[in-house]
Amino acid sequence: MSHSDTIKSISGHAERLVACARAAGAVYVDALAVCDTGDSVSIRNGAVESVEREDAQGMGVRAFVETDRGLAFATASSSDLSEAGLKRLADQVVAMARISEPDPDAVPPVGADHPNADELAAWRARYPDQHHGWSIEKARDAAMQCEEIARNYSAEISNSEGADASFGSSHVAYASSDGFAADYAKSSASLSVSVIAGSGEGMQRDYAWHRAFHASDLKTPEMIAQEAAKRAIAMLNPGSMESGRTTVIFEPRTATSMLGHLIGAINGRAVLQERTFLADALNQSIFPDFVHIEDNPDHPDGMGNRLFDGEGTRCTGRNIIDAGRLNCFLTDRYTAKRLHQPETGSAMRGLTGDIGIGSSNLIWHPGRQTQEEMMATIGNGLLVTEMIGFGVNGVTGDYSRGAAGFLIENGKIVRPVSGITIAGNLKEMFANIEMVGSDLTWFGSSAVPSIAISGMTVAGQ
Amino acid sequence: MTIADMPDQNLDTLPVSIETLQSVLSHMLPAGADDGDLYLEHSVSESLALEEGRVKHVSASTHQGLGARVIKGEAAGHAFTDRLDSRALMQAAASARTIAESGQQRPPVAIHKASPTPLLYEGSNPAAGLDFTQRKALLERLDQLARSLDPRVKQVFANVSSSFSDIHIVRMDGAFMHDARPLVRLNVSVVVEQNGKRETGSAGGGGRFSLHRFSGDNQAEELVRKAVRLALLNLDAHDAPAGTMPVVLGPGWPGILLHEAIGHGLEGDFNRKGTSVFSDKLGQRVAAKGITVVDDGTISERRGSLNVDDEGTATQRNILIEDGILTGYLLDRQNARLMGKASTGNGRRESYAHPVLPRMTNTFMLAGHDSPDDILSSLDKGIYAVNFGGGQVDITSGKFVFTTSEAYYVENGKIQYPVKGATLIGAGHEVLQKVSMIGNDLELDPGVGTCGKGGQSVPVGVGLPTLRIDELTVGGTEA
Repeated sequence: MSHSDTIKSISGHAERLVACARAAGAVYVDALAVCDTGDSVSIRNGAVESVEREDAQGMGVRAFVETDRGLAFATASSSDLSEAGLKRLADQVVAMARISEPDPDAVPPVGADHPNADELAAWRARYPDQHHGWSIEKARDAAMQCEEIARNYSAEISNSEGADASFGSSHVAYASSDGFAADYAKSSASLSVSVIAGSGEGMQRDYAWHRAFHASDLKTPEMIAQEAAKRAIAMLNPGSMESGRTTVIFEPRTATSMLGHLIGAINGRAVLQERTFLADALNQSIFPDFVHIEDNPDHPDGMGNRLFDGEGTRCTGRNIIDAGRLNCFLTDRYTAKRLHQPETGSAMRGLTGDIGIGSSNLIWHPGRQTQEEMMATIGNGLLVTEMIGFGVNGVTGDYSRGAAGFLIENGKIVRPVSGITIAGNLKEMFANIEMVGSDLTWFGSSAVPSIAISGMTVAGQ
Repeated sequence: MTIADMPDQNLDTLPVSIETLQSVLSHMLPAGADDGDLYLEHSVSESLALEEGRVKHVSASTHQGLGARVIKGEAAGHAFTDRLDSRALMQAAASARTIAESGQQRPPVAIHKASPTPLLYEGSNPAAGLDFTQRKALLERLDQLARSLDPRVKQVFANVSSSFSDIHIVRMDGAFMHDARPLVRLNVSVVVEQNGKRETGSAGGGGRFSLHRFSGDNQAEELVRKAVRLALLNLDAHDAPAGTMPVVLGPGWPGILLHEAIGHGLEGDFNRKGTSVFSDKLGQRVAAKGITVVDDGTISERRGSLNVDDEGTATQRNILIEDGILTGYLLDRQNARLMGKASTGNGRRESYAHPVLPRMTNTFMLAGHDSPDDILSSLDKGIYAVNFGGGQVDITSGKFVFTTSEAYYVENGKIQYPVKGATLIGAGHEVLQKVSMIGNDLELDPGVGTCGKGGQSVPVGVGLPTLRIDELTVGGTEA
């Protein structure tokens, strides 16, 4: 099927599912239908190691019914898109909603701030449904080239975990019983490679990747190969370092995790549940005044662009952190109502289950100093290039993670270090940001520069 | 009633006819292929979640699809589809076979049932054991219990979920296997508050058994008590120390150490490719004398257990380390063939829409002879860690981490105070050589483990006796 046929077909499914659930007794309904196709080729040691082809479809529905104690709802999903499957799913979700517990605060899908027809048309014109630009053969050639360059980068590269080229298209349709229906398609291509330097117990592995809407916008296979190989070689023969307090520079690749921790902590649901260390921090300065972070759903470089969220609510950009101050929590309609906060259009919808909350494109505004200048400014410290583990307590902000990178002495990198941990508390870490670099780097839907944080504890020898 | 619309299924009935499978298989497999299979799955899952004293989220999902696979040498071709009509199946077969050079088709094979393996769990939907009202009542009871235990409990979250996967595997030679896999999980977490300071604690349990189990014994209530105890304990936690020191691990879930430090590094794909720090170490000492580590997929009703793996191989008890010597790897069929060995029954996939990888099942260390009290008493200055959150490993350098969720600072063999969550870091090929005492108290975890690899999640189990490690880096803030 062509793109437009697929869109037509899944839009039809979403709207028919809404109608079926209404017929089964639901008062309010919204539904999603998705159709994804994807291919990937992986190359190892110059030969094709695997090809994968995925052809996935599914639909999900949220149905509200009137009970004598108020509105109750449930969600359900299925991969069976036949007419009988639609009807079965509609009957099932309504039956489930009837035995659910009514919630006086429930926000049914009616009266949302939907984008209008002109906005939908303008969005389509700005982000036309374009092909990813790859065939299996072209993807295979790119992966082949990337892996070969990485393997042959130097004699220190001893082994390969392979290169992978993936591409695909995702079609999503949303429909609500209040009459709003919209759909969009997204295509993307990505290229990655992972190689190993050294041997035996001295092996070091590293990787590089890039993803873009169109294959022609990807970094070249050479750039990706060289980054992976250089990184693996630079980490050879790491040592430990002395335990103690130090300033840590997170390069962009590791600094993205700070954005993740921030977004998790200002998630409206977590705020409502008092499960975040920033629950009481709205309108407070939580970063130094040179920190600016925006959620931008309409950025030409971002993979997270969206006109409306998982509830059909219009997405508008906003500065989450404005001169260090926390401007908003991210909300879906339910948490906005409960917290008496604006709707930010941040509902993230899977086919079934709870509605999640997430950002669109996150951009941490860069500073003026290069990474080298940042190292020169701090004098002694640690450059973190890799982190491992999940040691973050979202309720308290307590932070302790495995790390690897480079020891900085007198403003210069002196040697690689690994097998260490870095620890602190996110609230203090945010406040202790000393510098933000000029090296803004995009990773899919987030863009972040290097960040220097003082007063962290390193555990090593 | 169960929530999901689960049609009455005769478990021996395929969603696709035998004739269709035969023609898809012969279309898919050129004469030169080494292996290949079709994997059909029908899964239903249900979940109820309570917060603010009310069951707020009720959800269900139904998924079915086919994974088609062709193997030739080191290469594999995969196709995954949610559509089970014969046209979609033929397209999937054509995609999967692009990996092997086109050649003569195989003649159709007769599809025949493989001999059944002993059943480790009941082949029925575990949701049927506790109807919706009973599940709702269970969650409400747990909420009330948590709030009654301590006035500092501010928020209670409880979730009960179940899934049931019906799997059919047809191998290249026509051998046909079936497995019906129940899986349930109950989770409780609480937020406590004291003088404006908040903390959280959580506990969970589950396995391959009916939801009915949660209504019978005190398991559910115990989870609540544990979650509340952990949260209150953490309110009083001091900063953890930073640096290298001896660590004593408690029994059970701390076995995540083995999963990260040893288990992943012994998976066949990494070792065949020489990318694991354990590559070529077979027969060598990798752990202290007295240490024996097994991966056992055959324990009745455990979360990591399977009647057959996702390639239809019966699971088994595999000895990975015997008395400190590396004796075995975890293998699927492809890596076993390439390494000249037999599959160990560890070929697993998250679903039909994911490729097979060698994975762990239930990984644990056998009990030793030391009493847990003696082990703790031996700790001069160090950390006693009883509960953990997640862990991760870099199998190439061997560096692994796991993060404490209940740990204590110990001096002169006596517990001094609880410490905040800290990440412990070590190297997989070194850590077990630093073990000096092994407890006689092996425990398996409560059934909460999920292992991630290559973007795929599968349920696993771990286990450990109390263990003393003479040197591990503790990632606290108190340097």
